[in-house]
Amino acid sequence: MSETGTIIKNGLWDNNVIFVQLLGMCPLLGVSTNAINGIGMGLATTFVLVGSNIVVSWIRNFIPNDIRIPAYVIVIASFVTMIDLLMNAFFIDLHHVLGIFIPLIVVNCAILGRAEAFACKNNALASAYDGLATGLGFTLALVILGSVRELLGSGKWFDMDVMGSSYHPAIGFILPPGAFIVLGFILMTVRWFNLKRAKQQVSPPSSHCALP
Amino acid sequence: MSDLFRMGLILMVVGAVATAMLAGTDAVTSGPIAEAKRQELLKALRQVLPEGFDNEPDRDFIVVNDKRLEKQGAPTTIYRGRKGATNLGAAYTVVAPDGYSGDITIMMGVATGGTITSIQVLSHKETPGLGDKIVTTRWPDAFKGKTLNNIKWGVKKDSGDFDQFAGATITPRAIVGAVKRGLEYFVENEKTLFAQAAPVEKVAKEVKP
Repeated sequence: MSETGTIIKNGLWDNNVIFVQLLGMCPLLGVSTNAINGIGMGLATTFVLVGSNIVVSWIRNFIPNDIRIPAYVIVIASFVTMIDLLMNAFFIDLHHVLGIFIPLIVVNCAILGRAEAFACKNNALASAYDGLATGLGFTLALVILGSVRELLGSGKWFDMDVMGSSYHPAIGFILPPGAFIVLGFILMTVRWFNLKRAKQQVSPPSSHCALP
Repeated sequence: MSDLFRMGLILMVVGAVATAMLAGTDAVTSGPIAEAKRQELLKALRQVLPEGFDNEPDRDFIVVNDKRLEKQGAPTTIYRGRKGATNLGAAYTVVAPDGYSGDITIMMGVATGGTITSIQVLSHKETPGLGDKIVTTRWPDAFKGKTLNNIKWGVKKDSGDFDQFAGATITPRAIVGAVKRGLEYFVENEKTLFAQAAPVEKVAKEVKP
């Protein structure tokens, strides 16, 4: 497989920030009460990831090793503030839903993680692909978790009634404990699926459980 | 030592570039943000004020301090709707500090004479699926057309006339209480509310886009 293909496959599934690396739990658990929030938060994070990965990759040769972390944090925080202002100015409805979660992107360790693990060692193009793939993988996880919680917790999916009026929503799934429970079951399913696939392929994928 | 100096310098450059970028973004977005906020306020006011006003209520306001509207008498802005020289009504926020979790902010509109035109919950932290029925259902419509005397103020559990939700009595009780206090304030101060002129300074500041 080509190098770009590997990067994208890694970000989306094999090394997914949520399912495999378990990074960025805080925004994941916070916003995943429904599927729409998941998409909005995921795309905002993707934008920041692509931007910060590109810039980190550009400046990687000028920044001495000792101060790379504060420099990266400045880059990430600037991107988050910019997206916050732009969203507030031009997409105010979306900003209402995600407003309080946008600053949380700064502390999403998935972003600093990608800057550290990938962008500071690769060129800008590859870093952009990596940011995009990681961000979309994050979005995927948010949408799956958000969909399950929305379906069980309010009987809806993307704000449409799908469970019928006889379904009595289990509110617990919308509350914070529900996020942990659903996440646990999703992780179990993903691992079961990956283990089964690894058995079939004989050679197990090496990226599993390997934190960057 | 020179190494330390160099690193400080590099960090300073990074910080300066980031600051410049943010200043640029702010310069581009501050206008649209102010306009979007104003449109939003106008939209909220249009929903709660009596119909037919032809002034700009977001520029025709006074600021008052009263314990019944805001915790510890923090300032509350009262927006006034008029048609020509006739006073139609006023819109203002009341805070219910006794919700199930955290404050509930409610925008209420009252027509002259003390009749509620509409209320709208602006922000709350109530439990999803239980207390948040105050925004997901049409429950707030029950307040339309109510005065201090034509209904028993209180939820049914407290032998009033307002519905509570199954499993959530505290939230509706808090809102009914807050709206009642807001209405009492309006009835007491109705005359002076419309007489005072809007603070000139603030208006001038807000006119600038």
